[in-house]
Amino acid sequence: MRRLLLLDCDQFFVQCARLADPDGAGRESLLLVGGSADGRGVVTSASYETRVFGCRSAMPTAQALRLCPQAKVVPVPRDMCGRKSREVREVLETFTPLVEAASIDEAYLDMTGTEALHGRESLDATARRIQAVVKERTDITVSIGGGATRVVAKLAAERAKPAGVLVVAPEDAASFMAGFALREIPGVGPVLAERLRAMGLVAIRDALPLSERELEDMLGPGRGAWLFERMRGRGSDTVEPDVAAKQISREETFPRDLGADDELEREILALSIRVASDLRRQALRARTVTVKIKDGDFQSRSASRTVDVPLESDRAIHGLAVDLLRTLRKRRRTPARLLGVAVSHFATAEEGTQLVLFDGAMDATLESDRDRRLSRAGDALRERFGPDAIRPGSLLE
Amino acid sequence: MRFTITRENLQQGLAAVGASIPTRTTLPVLSNILIEAGEDGVQMSGTDLDIAVTLRVPAEVEEPGAITVPAKKLQELARELPEAPARVTTTGERFELTCGKATFRLNGMPRDEFPTFPEVDFASSWRVSGELMGRMIERTSFAVSTEESRPILNGVLWQLGDREMRMVATNGHRLAKLTIPSDGANAPNADLIVPPKALAQVQRLFDPEDEIEVARSENHLGFRKDGTRVYTRLIEGPYPNYEQVIPKDNDRIAIADKETLTRSLRRMAVVASDQTHRVRLAFVGTALRLSVETPDLGDAHEEIEVDYQGDALDIGFNANYLLEVLRYMPSDEVKLSFKAPERAATVEPTEASEGAYLCLIMPLRLLE
Repeated sequence: MRRLLLLDCDQFFVQCARLADPDGAGRESLLLVGGSADGRGVVTSASYETRVFGCRSAMPTAQALRLCPQAKVVPVPRDMCGRKSREVREVLETFTPLVEAASIDEAYLDMTGTEALHGRESLDATARRIQAVVKERTDITVSIGGGATRVVAKLAAERAKPAGVLVVAPEDAASFMAGFALREIPGVGPVLAERLRAMGLVAIRDALPLSERELEDMLGPGRGAWLFERMRGRGSDTVEPDVAAKQISREETFPRDLGADDELEREILALSIRVASDLRRQALRARTVTVKIKDGDFQSRSASRTVDVPLESDRAIHGLAVDLLRTLRKRRRTPARLLGVAVSHFATAEEGTQLVLFDGAMDATLESDRDRRLSRAGDALRERFGPDAIRPGSLLE
Repeated sequence: MRFTITRENLQQGLAAVGASIPTRTTLPVLSNILIEAGEDGVQMSGTDLDIAVTLRVPAEVEEPGAITVPAKKLQELARELPEAPARVTTTGERFELTCGKATFRLNGMPRDEFPTFPEVDFASSWRVSGELMGRMIERTSFAVSTEESRPILNGVLWQLGDREMRMVATNGHRLAKLTIPSDGANAPNADLIVPPKALAQVQRLFDPEDEIEVARSENHLGFRKDGTRVYTRLIEGPYPNYEQVIPKDNDRIAIADKETLTRSLRRMAVVASDQTHRVRLAFVGTALRLSVETPDLGDAHEEIEVDYQGDALDIGFNANYLLEVLRYMPSDEVKLSFKAPERAATVEPTEASEGAYLCLIMPLRLLE
């Protein structure tokens, strides 16, 4: 039985905005981070105080301001977010080597085997010490959930918010889970939740009497079995420490070899967006884009481009990737069985953004502020509504 | 074809033309050099289809003719030849070179396969001094973009007017502009966007004392002087409206010693991020504080003296962009001007030399 913790920074972007500007945002209780004061853009994070009015992340800023007109809107303090995320992580690594960043403000910790190190105290006590040390060293308030699986730790952290700790003992996991709605299970998106609701299933408790077979009949074999396990708090319990990656990549092996250019270009678009969003999740930018192609006869080929200025937007990364794909296809034109996009040569947003001479006036630069804002708005929507919440029209079936 | 040539002349011709020959090409004949023997000596030509270079070198021609031979092999060979005249003959597509007691045969390709050069009519040519041309190219072409995705910015804008000519280059982050008075002898009023590779050949192959003849066709530009010619494809415009981005109201002015600033920036650059090369400049009174802070690496600080007028200013730059611009400033002191941390900065020489030289650099945003 493993001892997992999920640490989640409370309203992370709001905290960072307050730390970045103690005299401005730092004094505002009604704070919306993301978008602009004139109502453009999307809220990345809303302070707890504004949530009372109905403000939520991924909501258009204009709508949030209608709900709470007194709120102050500030841009996402990328610089501070990247720095604080790293600082928090450094603290966590002093407690266990097994730390996996799930996003910029969340990390899983596997505390199994560290009992002797922490004086055989309870997992709850360790979690409280972690919370205190993180606050002391980084000024960031966090909530921590604990359990034997990732799903239990994650939901426990949700329940613990704000600024709380909740560790669920393995024997209590099933009853703890029973108190949630099905749609609160990580991985149950809006579509699945609606389908379940149509069958009269809203709370986990409603679905518990169903057998695994019955769920499989209702939802299909894979998904039914998955939900059956999840509802009971069972599932993955592995935490994979992410070594400082030198490269972020995504690959796709196709069910059948793809020979048509438009099919491959659609795939490269989808892969580029996934890689770019992975990159942004780690608050990084990259100077090199690599496209890899494996032809039907298993011959692997790749091409790379390195640019002057680190990039993070979907448009810029896709632009380079599609050029590289075309170059590769020009050299050899056979149906492909696999396509991959990778980015490397990382910089952090903290290192500064190179400003451009001809912003917007012409397509003179690979990436503008507008491109970055657009991509981040997409991230906020996907974070809230799931990976398929927003995508380019050309990827719709 | 049959001729005798000194080793030096052969090497000189090959070196001059070699730079225009592509290292990788899908059209095999492009990796060859075209050798034509005629009454005036031997003419050597190379092209990558964008740029073509032709050079004539003295030789004793016994029988005129032409052939193309692999450029790289011939260059390597010429370097290793003993000090003796080389005798060249051809039999069909076979190229034979004898030097001292050594004989080499290379498989060539017929001249018909070599692409013809662009038609540029020198009847309506104009002239420009090699010195002026060289100066304009040197001070601007470093600023072009190397991004293939924006072909316009891959070229240097050469603007010809009645009383002046000007070269401008930018990669969208920094810009260099040099304007030089010129009587415009016959020059058309035109905006030409020229690949910097072609300009580099012009700079290399013509002497400062040369009066270079220049002529254009619809899509090409040609330069010539005696037997040396450079042709290039022109990049299709329009060039971005650069005048619009040149700041007119920068009111924070610093005069700095170029050498002192350069040395300090180079030291800072060592500790700057590999990816953004960010350096922070803080101007307060007569002090310029330079600093870098790079996560996972470390930090560096230095203070130098400058003559600064204006409110205190904290601004970030890519150190390489600053260093590059400073390298081409022709005076010992440089004048930097700023408006605000996120607005374009200018760098100019303090002494007026012939022509007006201005460089622009966009800052790095320090905080988001």
